[in-house]
Amino acid sequence: MFTEVKKHIKLIFKYFTFNLSAIAEYRTSFFVQVFGMALNNASFAFFWWVLFDKLGGGIGGYGFRDVMFLWAVASTGFGLAHVFFANMNNISGMIMTGELDTYLLQPKNPLINSIAARMSATSWGDFLYGIILMLLIKASGMMWIMFAISIFTAAILITSIAVAGHSLTFYFGNMEAVGRTLWEFTITFSIYPETIFRGPVKALIMTALPIGFITHIPLRMVYNFSWGTLFLLLGVAITYALFAFALYMFGLKRYESGNLIITRM
Amino acid sequence: MSKYLAMAGISIKNSLVYRANVTGRIIFYFVFIFVFFSLWSMVYSGNEIAGYSLRQMIWYVCMTELVVFCSGSGIFGIMNHEVKSGEIAYQLVRPWNYVYKQFASMLGNITFSALVFTLMAIILGMVFAGPLKGFNAAAIPFIVVSFLLSIAMNFFFLMSLGLLAFYFEENGPFYFIYQKLLFVFGMLLPIEFLPLWAQGILRYLPFSLITWGPAKMVVDFSYGYAMEIIPLQIIWCIGAIALAQFVFSRGVRKVNVHGG
Repeated sequence: MFTEVKKHIKLIFKYFTFNLSAIAEYRTSFFVQVFGMALNNASFAFFWWVLFDKLGGGIGGYGFRDVMFLWAVASTGFGLAHVFFANMNNISGMIMTGELDTYLLQPKNPLINSIAARMSATSWGDFLYGIILMLLIKASGMMWIMFAISIFTAAILITSIAVAGHSLTFYFGNMEAVGRTLWEFTITFSIYPETIFRGPVKALIMTALPIGFITHIPLRMVYNFSWGTLFLLLGVAITYALFAFALYMFGLKRYESGNLIITRM
Repeated sequence: MSKYLAMAGISIKNSLVYRANVTGRIIFYFVFIFVFFSLWSMVYSGNEIAGYSLRQMIWYVCMTELVVFCSGSGIFGIMNHEVKSGEIAYQLVRPWNYVYKQFASMLGNITFSALVFTLMAIILGMVFAGPLKGFNAAAIPFIVVSFLLSIAMNFFFLMSLGLLAFYFEENGPFYFIYQKLLFVFGMLLPIEFLPLWAQGILRYLPFSLITWGPAKMVVDFSYGYAMEIIPLQIIWCIGAIALAQFVFSRGVRKVNVHGG
């Protein structure tokens, strides 16, 4: 079991170096995309800056730095997930077209093998933006500690939610729209203060769709750290990853191969 | 004219076929409005901010999103692809004006989106905010004209940016910058939230006229606003069409056709 995990981690890093060298071939395009994505995210910072400036106070107990912390974790966590596992959003497509056959023939887990096969160039922009934002807001030591931990749990959760959504395609036919919508929900709900959500929405993002654990719980820990909450955060991330993995692997048994011929270049 | 209408008809049929795509966009529209409803409900406590009440603010976001969802028909990506892949060469020999042909091809999609998302905007506005106080039905023709001009203006600006692929290998940053200017100068926040000096400039610029212009007319209509905003929108709309024609006619000279 341990050897298998080690082998797959090695595979992920092999894909990483290979994809990075492929992207580096088109340097101008790469830097343009990174800059574009950072600019895209910065426009939201402008929105919050104007809003806080106009209100002259907090929003639901959140200050400007707190919202920027949410953004930093979400952005870098998202970047990390898509630098390593950009193919997560193509799972439904791979199942529907039969492209998955290629991965089934290889001696590695098809889920890890397929989602790690692609890197998103723009995600480097997201990854760097979060770090730059942390520097700009002059984040406190505790913010940096929670940032360092939560970008990994955020990446795991973002990937797991997308994998779980797309895995439904094995069970119910083309669920690409569902997978993509879940992925968009995840991003949208994690970049706004937790306190604006109430009732069933709040219950949903703290349980079945643990979006609240991506950014909101880490921010709570910045001000009120407890080992219990930290273990809860790690536990939720690992449990959800295992749940998504199991959903995919059980679904895979229902997969019917196509006759698509693919060249992987 | 009939050939452009036929293209618009085909485009409507295509929109109806891709139902999953429409459903996904409807869900996303709902989520976006819901998040902003939650945010503004938290921000407001019975007061007005920059001259907008909570109810006006929710309707405002419903309306600005409506413009973006109706005109975001992927024209930038299509232009980019056609120029970079060389597919545009096949279009040049056909008996139509390329710029108008693209508009006609998208018209069906835009009409379909306009019908679906207008309905969504009204339903969500009524559910989350309730009816707008003092809304005058006589304002509707002005609002419709303003929305149509916004959508057309946005379309031709996006098309011009896509056609910049004739001149630049990487035209993505132009698109990003344009999109973000729309975003921050009217889409998420009315320009009244910005300093007075910025407002003075922004009310004449296309970014604000595309989003803030028609949304402002819905939430706080006055004939004075309509007479100020609509003529400016007409001028910018003509400017956007001329720009698309100019970028295309100059860019197309750079095309080398080698057959194949």
